[in-house]
Amino acid sequence: MKGISMMSMRSGFIWSVIGLCVGLLIPIEARGQAPSPGATLFEKRCYSCHNIGSGDKKGPDLKGVTLRRSRDWLHEYIKSPAAMNRRGDPEARALFEKFAPEVMPDQDITDEQIDAILALIDELTRKNESFVPAGAKLSRPVTPADIDLGRQLFVGRRSLSNGGPACISCHTVSGVGRLGGGTLGPDLTAVNVKYRDPELIAILQNPNFPAMKAVFGTRPLTDEEIVQLFAYLQNVKPAHPTTQALAGVARIEPWFVTIGFVALLGAIVGFNLAWKNRLRGVREQLVRRSTS
Amino acid sequence: MDVRLQISMVFHLDKCIGCHTCSIACKNVWTDRKGAEYMWWNNVETKPGTGYPTAWEDQSKYKGGWEQKNGRPELRMGRKSSRLINLFHNPHLPKLDDYYEPWTYRYEDLFDSPEGADQPTARPISMITGKPIDIEAGPNWDDDLGGSPVYAANDPNLEGFDEQQREELFDVQRLVFFYLPRICNHCLNPACVAACPSGAIYKRGEDGIVLINQERCRAWRMCVTACPYKKTYYNWSTGKSEKCILCFPRLETGQAPACFHSCVGRIRYLGALLYDADRLLEALNVADEKLVEAHRELILDPFDPHVQAEALKNGIDDQAIEAAQRSPVYKYVKEWRLALPLHPEFRTLPMLFYVPPLLPVMARAEQGLYDTSDKELFAPIDRARVPMEYLARLFAGSNVDPVRYSLKKQYAVRLFKRMDTVGDIDRALVKRALQEVETSEDEAEQIFRLTSLPTMTERFVIPPSHREEALAMLTEDLWEEKGGAGLGFREPPTRGA
Repeated sequence: MKGISMMSMRSGFIWSVIGLCVGLLIPIEARGQAPSPGATLFEKRCYSCHNIGSGDKKGPDLKGVTLRRSRDWLHEYIKSPAAMNRRGDPEARALFEKFAPEVMPDQDITDEQIDAILALIDELTRKNESFVPAGAKLSRPVTPADIDLGRQLFVGRRSLSNGGPACISCHTVSGVGRLGGGTLGPDLTAVNVKYRDPELIAILQNPNFPAMKAVFGTRPLTDEEIVQLFAYLQNVKPAHPTTQALAGVARIEPWFVTIGFVALLGAIVGFNLAWKNRLRGVREQLVRRSTS
Repeated sequence: MDVRLQISMVFHLDKCIGCHTCSIACKNVWTDRKGAEYMWWNNVETKPGTGYPTAWEDQSKYKGGWEQKNGRPELRMGRKSSRLINLFHNPHLPKLDDYYEPWTYRYEDLFDSPEGADQPTARPISMITGKPIDIEAGPNWDDDLGGSPVYAANDPNLEGFDEQQREELFDVQRLVFFYLPRICNHCLNPACVAACPSGAIYKRGEDGIVLINQERCRAWRMCVTACPYKKTYYNWSTGKSEKCILCFPRLETGQAPACFHSCVGRIRYLGALLYDADRLLEALNVADEKLVEAHRELILDPFDPHVQAEALKNGIDDQAIEAAQRSPVYKYVKEWRLALPLHPEFRTLPMLFYVPPLLPVMARAEQGLYDTSDKELFAPIDRARVPMEYLARLFAGSNVDPVRYSLKKQYAVRLFKRMDTVGDIDRALVKRALQEVETSEDEAEQIFRLTSLPTMTERFVIPPSHREEALAMLTEDLWEEKGGAGLGFREPPTRGA
């Protein structure tokens, strides 16, 4: 009897340990794999521009926004901020002025999705916590070799595997090419100062800015490319230390304007020389010569 | 021998009164359209003068026509390579100001002006901008020597005249001018055709009329530069170039072109010429002074059986050959050698010929009498108020001989008719005059008749065009084209390709 009970006790202990472990593990796994739908949505759709509890980015920090504004206002604003601004809503207008020139684009989003996001903001506000993106992690640690590989991706020497255009078509960083990169997007020098690491990774994963979303929505970066580009952007050295204050703002270099001006003058002079024997009107000259 | 047929023209300048009826007829029929306001496919110039566009004869500026280079004619505007380089910017185009800014008048001002002390006037309005303008030039600004110190004094044909000759020319007592009506010359070696990068310009095989295909024209405007007579014009509205079409729809229906038909002085003659296309290059490769003769040599005798046989081989039918035999142009140009091409030195072989004008002679005032009589037979011709060299520059590549011959012959015919009708001239003198220009009383009478008393059918000998033969090559359904002329616009010309 005793033996049996001992046996049963031991096996009961083992089972309970296993059970406890499983019981503990499952929620951890579940929490890691599937965060709340609000958090997933927020990371995908909002996190490029907004924080919850870690300060303003391109757009305002959304901590406590559900206390500051009515639910109806939030719904309407999220769907079409520009329409509200046009209508002359004073709060919308104040936001537009504060964050100019950034303009929050209209969102293609359902009421249920908005509610889920607002619930997340509510919860974090109540707990006084900051939003930490669950997926904004690199797939592997950065190695020194990644910096150069990232640079090759940035300038387009290697193409992105899903067919996206090279970063340089729209962005520049200091020290890339003689004439720099594109000026459609912001200068990415010191982008690591402007964004914290998870924010930058999240943007590389889900660039939710209107121009980038259109291009990279169907051609996302692979995990490996994200690691390399992240490594490169971390290591771009600003040409002038003062540019840190203007990080992210595309600047027109004075020498670039000078080159443009000189080239224009050169072209005008060149064309004039090439066609210096062109016909410049006969009658006017004849009259001028004869009457003077 | 490659016999071709060309509808050719003669303008008898001695008969032109400068009334511009031809220009108006042409304007009303063809260029009274948007974009064509400044065009005068037919214009009448006063010489000495700079013409329209201003100083068009000055090819150092306009770069028109051909020049002799390495023993062959080359376009003065440059080779193909340089034209390709300048394709998007043709550097030798006349400005609108060189033609003139077309204008109309605000006629309603005459009725709507408020009552005042002065008569209301109709203000001139630019047809380009629609705003009031100060008129500075027109298509015949030299008319009757208006503005001579500026315009006539700069006539390119006066180049090489010294100060004294110029002074004499513009001396009030001996001032003289004559008119020069101009249309497209429908040249045998058209520079416009050679210059067109789109291949839009062509010379019609059946009658030699030069036309611009409005569907193929791409507005490069190389023809505008290439034509030394500045007779292709760019239509800024349709984006296509245009030119005189010799009223081919009228010709095809047996009528004379509008400017010919309406000519008040009846100075215009039209008829067919047969020429030898094989010898074109040969005729072009001669010195300036010999161009008139070489040009005449190209024209074939339609009475020669050999020529007739060759013509038939080339599809020129009996009716056309018969028309070429009756052609007044053949008589004036080849038989009588009276008519000369305008500026043959441009080397386009123009097929519009001019009978140079017998201008007033320089008279003397003796003992209160205005005396024009002279002892010498042909002295008046050499003492005409416009120097022979001037006419030679216009009509003979600076060679005085063909001009003097033509003027002498005209003068001899006058003497002959004066003897005939007035009877105050000795027949021996007339005989000597006729002999000097190698002509007979019979021919003099013919020249007189065709010059002074021609009928409509003598002035315009239009060969039947036989459109059905040309159309048969293009379409099977001739029935649909019955009674039609030309190939017809299927749609109006539009900008672009």
